[in-house]
Order: sequence, then structure tokens, then C-alpha cells
Amino acid sequence: MDSSILRQLKKIAGKDAVLDRPEELMLYEYDAGVDKHRPGAVVFAQNTQQVSQIMRLASDKKIPVVPRGAGTGLSGGAIARREAIVLSLARMNKILEIDVPNQRAVVQPGVVNLELSNATAKYGYYYAPDPSSQKACTIGGNVSENSGGPHTLALGVTVNHVTGLEIVLPNGKVVEFGGKAQDATGLDMTGFFVGSEGTMGVVTRITVKLTKLPEHVTTLLGIYNTVEDAANTVVAITQSGVTPAALEMLDGWMVRCVEANVHAGYPEDAAAVLLIELEGMRETVEEQAIAVSEVCLQQKAREVRHAKDEKQRQLLWLGRKTAFGAVGRVSPSYYTQDGVIPRTKVPYTLAEIERISKHYGLIIGNVFHAGDGNLHPLILFDARDPVQTENSRKAAKEIMACCLKFGGSITGEHGVGLEKMGLMTAMFTEDDLEVMVRLRNAFNPESILNPQKMIPDLHFCREITGPLPKAKFEPVAGVPV
Amino acid sequence: MSTITSPVSLDRDLAAIVGEKNVARTVFEGFHINGVVPSAAVFPGSPEEVGALLRLANERDLVVAPAGGLSKQQIGCIPERVDILLSTTRLNKVEEYDPGDLTIAVQAGMPFAEMQRRLAEHQQWVPCDAAYLERATIGGLLATGAAGPLKSTFGHMRDFCIGVQFVTADGKVVKGGGRVVKNVAGYDLMKLLTGSYGSLAVITRANFKVFPRPRQTRTFICSFHSFEEAIAFRTRLFQSPLTPMCMEIISPGAPEYLRDAEPVNDPDDYAPEQPVSLPAVEWQIVLRAAGSDNVLARYSRELGSAVTRTLEGAAEEQFWGWISHFEQNVVARHRNALVLYTHLAIQNVGPALQALQRAAPDYNMIPAAVGRAATGNLVLALMPLSVDPPSAMQYANCVSAFRGMLPPGSSAEVAHCPTEAKLHFDVWGTTPTDVNMMRAVKRAIDPKNILNRGRFIV
Repeated sequence: MDSSILRQLKKIAGKDAVLDRPEELMLYEYDAGVDKHRPGAVVFAQNTQQVSQIMRLASDKKIPVVPRGAGTGLSGGAIARREAIVLSLARMNKILEIDVPNQRAVVQPGVVNLELSNATAKYGYYYAPDPSSQKACTIGGNVSENSGGPHTLALGVTVNHVTGLEIVLPNGKVVEFGGKAQDATGLDMTGFFVGSEGTMGVVTRITVKLTKLPEHVTTLLGIYNTVEDAANTVVAITQSGVTPAALEMLDGWMVRCVEANVHAGYPEDAAAVLLIELEGMRETVEEQAIAVSEVCLQQKAREVRHAKDEKQRQLLWLGRKTAFGAVGRVSPSYYTQDGVIPRTKVPYTLAEIERISKHYGLIIGNVFHAGDGNLHPLILFDARDPVQTENSRKAAKEIMACCLKFGGSITGEHGVGLEKMGLMTAMFTEDDLEVMVRLRNAFNPESILNPQKMIPDLHFCREITGPLPKAKFEPVAGVPV
Repeated sequence: MSTITSPVSLDRDLAAIVGEKNVARTVFEGFHINGVVPSAAVFPGSPEEVGALLRLANERDLVVAPAGGLSKQQIGCIPERVDILLSTTRLNKVEEYDPGDLTIAVQAGMPFAEMQRRLAEHQQWVPCDAAYLERATIGGLLATGAAGPLKSTFGHMRDFCIGVQFVTADGKVVKGGGRVVKNVAGYDLMKLLTGSYGSLAVITRANFKVFPRPRQTRTFICSFHSFEEAIAFRTRLFQSPLTPMCMEIISPGAPEYLRDAEPVNDPDDYAPEQPVSLPAVEWQIVLRAAGSDNVLARYSRELGSAVTRTLEGAAEEQFWGWISHFEQNVVARHRNALVLYTHLAIQNVGPALQALQRAAPDYNMIPAAVGRAATGNLVLALMPLSVDPPSAMQYANCVSAFRGMLPPGSSAEVAHCPTEAKLHFDVWGTTPTDVNMMRAVKRAIDPKNILNRGRFIV
């Protein structure tokens, strides 16, 4: 990175807020996904004004900027290419206001997701979207990725919980969208911005809804001898008129993997388990628990366990929430997928994943948000083995092709980022993408912010991506382009 | 730049795209948009035909007004002109529905109620109870972001719409989202189009996530002698474990319009059903709860003596229909009424209602309000005093006075008022959202401003 740029960054944010030594930059070359690139510099902004000054500098000098929260993203959204500036918002981590009467909180982007719920619990409220990384991920990152989580089945994803944003545009201008009101006159710019993956502006302040803590919560564990029965239960529950707060599935391999790690009490000989959470008024929850147990048994569950107390409930969830970590214990590397399929296609898709797993000789564990049809197959491989690495990517593409064949999506909550950019053309036509580029250009005309993410470099956007190398685009076998 | 097109040659070119029988002088005798009569009405039969029509309009700088059931065409500013009224009513099919997936894909011109009937066969629904659902189309409801009392818990169209197909001003048939309930691939164009009032694109198809329809509901009407008591009751409800489906606040003047509208000879006549010697003072908070007998019994217990009346079955449905059609009932009785929609922080519901009660008498109007007490989306009606009706300028002053009393961050748009009055004030008003960015978005996909030119905020 040019030394005069570094000097100016230090002048804006302070000497201790800029990193440029290779050993420091190494820490910022990856996220929780698979891609890696070392940035030119990392700068930690401490307030909106600094973000604005940094953006103005970057715009003047035409240096790409990649905003970053906790770096827990799974699609490479926060990874900067060479000579780009990583703009870390991790130090803007204050909860600015907890407004209980209005059921809102105003936070800086670096506030950790779970910290907000912890801070509001004493008032009887929490922040509903709960990505698995909620102990580390930031709300700014959640806004950029429109993150989900197990409990979004009943309550919706991030976009359903954000009512206001303060944004710094690439040219340094600060704009406001929405506020504490449920919505506002005019276009829903807040809703449009959420999930834009850092390609339209830098979020510097967020107003979120707080949700009343439910009076009663209960968790059931459905245990199955076949994956099909578990998958059929998912459809049957949603058809029975009950919308659980969460409806998660782990396949047999994942169950054994989790048990070896935390002893959550899942039976190790099960082919699949369903984790079903119900919440709301006591009477409602008690009735739904009976109804759901019946549905499970009708769908040939071997057994339905009911968490007796909060301790048991937490233990059941511990298994789900530590599943990814448990996989880390048994495999040197794994590749997390994020495909979505219509709920009724869960059984076929799982069978297809099984076939793909056998074909490539790679273990694929399944732990996912069954209620939403949002799959997270984990492909296990050894990154030191180039053949396995290559096969894991091929397997991932086949899984995605299968999701698309069933009318699904390439990403339910992890974002497109760098990782799935090449797959966008399998879901969207050139016209679709061209309109998205036009909209992006309304905010980010010179692609200073997070260039070459999300929308692949088709012929129409070449001019505006400047001197940077073109993004890779690889066709996917079996997917019509 | 404007191209002079004779009506005859325009008709011919439109007919070349959609066929002669799908071009008309108007949709019905006397139809206009705030006094402006469209030069032609067209009824395309496919998204591609919509594309061809828009390409033609874009090339010739013709102003297009997308239309569905025509239930909300009078909202917005007076257009300078409308060359083509583009009706989506021939795009009226369900394209895909698998009850097990809890999703549905429908064409934009289908009346909402028709889709709802298809869903009801499987005990499912899209929880929207806006007005005139027999007429209002899917596309129109999306474009206007319309909602009713169910917005309290379920949100509105933006929260159910998971995919959308639309046609841009330059005629491209484009889609956003998909057919699955969770999807973050690409920008969320559903959010952008919801509430865009046809100013960005013509919506041709929408995909929704659907919900299990509640099997049993009951409505609890709670009455209070003062506004303060009603608001205090609302605070207690927020703190209670109860999770009602709807929570409406009803002002003393509103029950007059919560009944079946009778035919009126003089639409400006204010003749209350029961003439009152004293002004009505009773405020109501109305809750609708869903659940088993057990759950509903809990509501009765917790609400206690606050409840003055409970409703079930047909009477309950009828009551909520009246709430949804409050504005329409007001306008049927008083064609010169002023109606505003507010977007408020929850705690600003009180101040906004007080502002209404204060502003109305100063401008010779009688106030009435109904709205979502839990989300700040109110429908405020001001009826002109029949003995001394307000002037056009007084409407403008009334709106400014009311807006001036709202706490910062609020917005209030005028949904209905005499066209003459619209000349004197800004129908849309101020908004906390940056208007320049809205305009940048508009320019990005409709650079020649052919879609609903001059009608919306952008």
C-alpha cells in the first residue's frame, strides 16, 4: 500500500488504528469461508465521521474498500483483494440506545449480535435473528448479509428486524434511511439495503426491533430411523398449522459427530434427529408440543423427547450450535454449503447429497434449518490434498445444481460474496443482473466499495470495475446458463 | 422533449402489440386519475407484451400508469399527463402452488381475494387484510404496500413477498428473489418494489410465503373513558405475555364509520346515526387473538374488566372488515374528506392522535382515527364540517399544522383529499429516508421517468 495513503489513513483514524505489516495483514486475509486474499491495509474506524473521511480518501484515490465486521462470514464478502483497504467496523461497538417503550435499539455496526440480546434481556426483550456465529458476528455484518439463524423460521431474518440505517456512501456522504418507525413514506430503502453485502454503502448506525421474550419455550427432540421420515415430518408439521420457532435437522453422521464432542444426549444410532422449538404463551406452547409430538410419531419417529427443564433444553441446543465446531475436530477442513430448496423437496435433495458424497468419496454431514428448507451440507476434506480439495468444490457445485433444479436458491443466509458469484448466472438472467448493476451504480458508481462481489463480471459491467482483474466465472455442470 | 402522437396512431401501435380488443379509450366511463384522463388503456396478456408496451412508451416518451383493480389510483400527486393506463388484469393466473412448500406464485393482475380462496382450500393464507381485496390485485397491493390490522403481527406485503417478476421502463422482463422462503442471492428487489407506487417498474408476478390460517380467533373490545387510559392499557398489554394478532386503537369519532356504508344522497352530509348531545369521548383498544379455547380463556382472564364486548364468528369477521374499510367508508360518506396514513414510532401514536384532535377543529374538520396501536400505522380521517366546509387552502394548512405537531422521525402521507386541495401542498410530506437516494434509484431503472411521472415522491 502506498505510504502516503497509509499516512492519511493514520491521520484520520489514529496511529494505532491502521495495520500494514504483512504479519498483521495475514489475520485479515480470510473469513470463515474458503477464499483468501491479503489486503493492502486495515483501518479501524471509530465513528461515522472517520468512515466518511476514509471513503472520501478512497474515492479520490480510486482505492477499493471492503467493510468488515467480525470476519465470521462464509462467502468471502469481507475479503479484500490486493491493494484494497479493509475498513474494520469492529471498534464501533457501542449500543447507543435501548428504547424499551418503542421496542427498538440503536447500535453501532460493530456490536456483537448476542451482546445486544444480553443487554436487553433484563427488560424482557431480545434481538431475534440468531446466526450460529452470534457470539462473535456483528450486527453490521448481519445487516450486510441479511443473516438468518435457527429462530428465523417464525420471526424472519435480519431484514424483518431492521427499521433504520445510517449509511456512508462511497463518496463519503452520510445518508439516513428510516428510523424507529415501522416504515416510512417513500421507497423502502432500508429493506433494499439490507443484504447488499457491502456493495452499496458502509452501515454506521442501525436501528433494530426488539422482540418480547416469550413467556414459555419448550424444545422437542424427534429421533428417526430414516432421514426420509424426518424430512416428511418437517412438511407435516408446517401443514398441521403449527409454525415452530425453530425446526432443525441433523443427520446420523452429524449426530455421532456432535455426541463425540459435547454429549448433548442425541442417540448415536439415529439416522436423523429433529430439534423442534416452540415458544409463545404457555397454553399455546403446551398444546403445540402435544400436537407436534403426535405428528412426529405419525411420521414414524422412533421416539420424541421433551426437554424437562431449561438445562436439558440448553443441552439439546448445545449439540446444534456446536455442530460446526464438532466437525472441525474430525476433519482438517470442511466446506459449508447454504442451498435452499422448497420444503417438500428435502427428502429428494438429501438422497442426492448422499449420492454425491459416495461419488466423490467425501463425507458430507447435514445440519440445517429444515423448516425453511435451508440446507447446510458440510463437505469434509483435507485441504493439504489437492485432489480432495478439488473434489470438494465439485461436490459443492453438484449440490447447488440440485438445489437449483428443484427451484431453490444458491444461498439462504450466507450471501453470495466471492464464493458463489459464479453461480449467480445460474439463478438470474443477464437482464436480471444488469438491473442489479444499475441499482448498485446508483450508490457505488465506481465500484470503490467491495468491488467484484455478488454480481459476476458480465460484459455490461466491465467498464465500471476499473483496472482490477476480472472475476472468475465457471459454468456449473447440469445448470442451464 | 415530447413527441406528438395522434390518438389514432397510438391506438394502432398499441393494438399491434396486444391485439385490437385489448386496447380501449378507457377502463370505464368517467375514469380519471385526480382529474387526468389517460389517453388510452391497454390490457397486455403476458410480461413480454408489457415489455413491448414499455419499450414503445420509453422510445416515444409516453407516460405510463400501471394499474390493477383501480382501488388506489387516486393516491398521490396530480399527474401532468397519463398517456397509457397499463392494466395487469389479464395477468391473473396462479402459476405455482404446492401447499406443502407453503409458497405460491401468482401473476400480478389476480385479485387478492381469489388467491386467498385458493389458499383457504388448504387452511393457508397470506395474512393481509387491506381494503377491497375482491378488486385489489396482487400487483397493486404490492405497489402500494397496502396493509390492514394484521400488520400488527404479520407485517405487510414486504414481509411475505419472496420473489418478484417485473418489467423495467426500457422493457426488460426481470426477476428478483425466488420461490423459496429464505434467499439472499442478489439484491432484495421485492423490498424496493413494495410501496414504490408503480414508479419503478410494472410488477407482473409475485411469489409469497404463505402461513397456516388460524383455526379459531376471538375479538376483545376494551373501552376507555379517556385517551390516556387507552394508551396506559396499551402499555400494560406490551408488558403482558399476551400475543394478540391485531391491536387496534379506535378514536371516539370512528365507530360512526365502522358499519356497513349506507347509500347517501349528499356525500358531504355529516349525519351521525345517533346524533349525540355530548361529543363522543370513548376510546377503544380492540384485540384479536388466535388459539384454542384454553388460550382464549387466558385472554379473557388477563384482560379482565377492561373488556366490554367480545366477538366471534361472522360478527367478528364483519367487524374486522369494517376496520379494514374505515377509510373507504369515510370517503363514501364524505367525498371531500381528508385521509392520512402515518408511520410512527410506537410511543408517538399518542402524540399523533392528540395532534389530530387539536388540528381538526382549527380547520373546520371533525377527526376520526383507526389504526395499528402496536406499530404506529394509523389511518386518520378528517371530515369537513358541513355547515362551514374548509377551503382548499385550509386543507393544506390543516395538513401542515398536523405534520408540524408530529415528533421527529414520523411521516404522514395524504391518501385522500379533494383534488383542488392537492395543488396547495405536498401529498407525500417529509420522510426520514434520504429522498436523493430514492431519486437515484428511480433514475437508475426509469431514467426517462415514464412510469407514473409526477405522482410519487420520486
